[in-house]
Amino acid sequence: MVTKDDSRTQKDEVASNRIVRVKSIPQRILDALTDFRDADRPSRIDKLGRVGLLIPAFASTMIIILILTFLWYEAMPIFADPAGGPGIIVNPTWDPSRDSYGIAIFIVGSLLCTGIAIGIAVPLGLAGAIFLSEYCPGRLRQPLKMIIEMMAAIPSIVYGLWAYVVLVPYIGNTLAPALQSNPLTAWIPFFQGETNGLSLIAGGIILAIMLLPTVVTISADALQTVPRSLREASYALGATQSETARKITLSAALPGIGAAVILSLGRAVGETMAILMVTGNSLQIPYTIFDPVYVMTSIITNQLGYAFVFPLWRSALFAIGLILLIMSICFTITAKLFIRWGMKTRGMTG
Amino acid sequence: MNEWEHHIEVQELSTWFGKKQVLKRISCYFKDNTVTAIMGPSGCGKSTFLRTLNRLNDLIPSFRRKGIVRFRGEDIFSPGYSVYNLRKNIGMVFQRPNPFPMSVRDNITYGPKLHGVNDEDELDDLVESCLKKAALWDEVKDDLDQPAPNLSGGQQQRLCIARALSVDPPVLLMDEPVSALDPISAGKIEELVVQLKKDYTIIMVTHNVQQAFRVSDQAAFLYLGELVEFDKTSRIAEAPTDERTEAFITGRIG
Repeated sequence: MVTKDDSRTQKDEVASNRIVRVKSIPQRILDALTDFRDADRPSRIDKLGRVGLLIPAFASTMIIILILTFLWYEAMPIFADPAGGPGIIVNPTWDPSRDSYGIAIFIVGSLLCTGIAIGIAVPLGLAGAIFLSEYCPGRLRQPLKMIIEMMAAIPSIVYGLWAYVVLVPYIGNTLAPALQSNPLTAWIPFFQGETNGLSLIAGGIILAIMLLPTVVTISADALQTVPRSLREASYALGATQSETARKITLSAALPGIGAAVILSLGRAVGETMAILMVTGNSLQIPYTIFDPVYVMTSIITNQLGYAFVFPLWRSALFAIGLILLIMSICFTITAKLFIRWGMKTRGMTG
Repeated sequence: MNEWEHHIEVQELSTWFGKKQVLKRISCYFKDNTVTAIMGPSGCGKSTFLRTLNRLNDLIPSFRRKGIVRFRGEDIFSPGYSVYNLRKNIGMVFQRPNPFPMSVRDNITYGPKLHGVNDEDELDDLVESCLKKAALWDEVKDDLDQPAPNLSGGQQQRLCIARALSVDPPVLLMDEPVSALDPISAGKIEELVVQLKKDYTIIMVTHNVQQAFRVSDQAAFLYLGELVEFDKTSRIAEAPTDERTEAFITGRIG
């Protein structure tokens, strides 16, 4: 313990507290050890418990810092090299054999795929969640939820296989010709182009299917935590079930739902296997939904094996990994901020 | 001349949750522009009774009922009767303050907007008049956009009363409106109830006998689902006819 001079005034005491806070690390460890020596048995167990729990908590935060540092270290050469530099983020030409390491197409590919996936998964998932939480008969709710949760456990390669034999041929043989021959949709520029089905839209759809269970279950949980008294208050004012669901329950659950969406964004950007199998992996910026795309995760998986040929090539792949990580960290922070904002405007604590 | 005499009339009302009978053949009517207190020990069916009057119990799947409740002479359980219209005309204040997680203003305008009031000026007037009726206006007028859950418990409950008044219901149901509040807030709300009876027919559930005597004109005593006694409050307070009522108001059961 730090002994305090009795003659100190209160102001000094505040100052001394500040000093206590910045005391050196060896001193801190030493203090803790003497505390431990002097403690009685129950307090010793408490102190041991605190240290025992601190280590895993600390370790998990260290892991993300270590990964960031490691990715930064590996990506450094490409950012420092004149052939690369930070400009690679906006350079669309990827040709390692000519020392050209533009990664813009992968970023665009990933963002487009994710955008389409979110565009499909959020409305569908939200509708499903509202049904589950507000309209579904109690006896059906648990089985339905269990099946949806099981969907989340299907390995992504299985989704990929399914998409490869079902979804991709369907897009190539049925969907694209139908959209391009129908006079209502034929003129839309995004629907043009020859396709064998390996395309941006295939990636978007399969991602959407993979995100659905997350969006449905988290949103349904968020809706379920809205107290019954709020719904009753709404009914008591003469609101219908749908008015109550839309204006009260959904609004009260919005912070939770928004967080679910943003977190699933992070998952979508990082998804690899299924998307690798159905997007065609062609080095071009897609102009229509039927164009093939190359996403960030796919290029790493496909080329890491022989990228050792040029150190810069390898480094560029790590740079892509770094950008991926930064993107998902940004999504997480956005989710946090969104929840905080949502809670504040709704006067909720937490 | 109206074909109906009282806003709410109850005839031979029995209700069940699953197999458990909660209310047993209750018949009564509520005089307009008075406060009726429904007293009784916990679990006697007070809240169930109240929630049957605006059909809020319909939301519970195991709920069944027999008998008739008339609102303005019409059976509220008859097929084709608009439950939304009924609930618009019978406001409700709950035991725990349950303001919506939105601004004070939006809490008040929610109901009117549902029923088709969209004019901004009209809504503003409504917010002011409802908050004034609920004696909350002076406390919140400077910050109508603050989130309602940030108000104190007593303020929240008065906001809930203002919210119930926002759709201008002739009848107001109150389910132990002060039991979750501190004595000062509770006192304010009791005063408010007495003021509101000029314009509204109020039916208030309470398990607090003193409060029932202070506030109400009529009192009903429910015991184990039976309507034991229903008369002028002063009469019940002075000379209860049934020994169970006497036991309850003297504190021997409850």
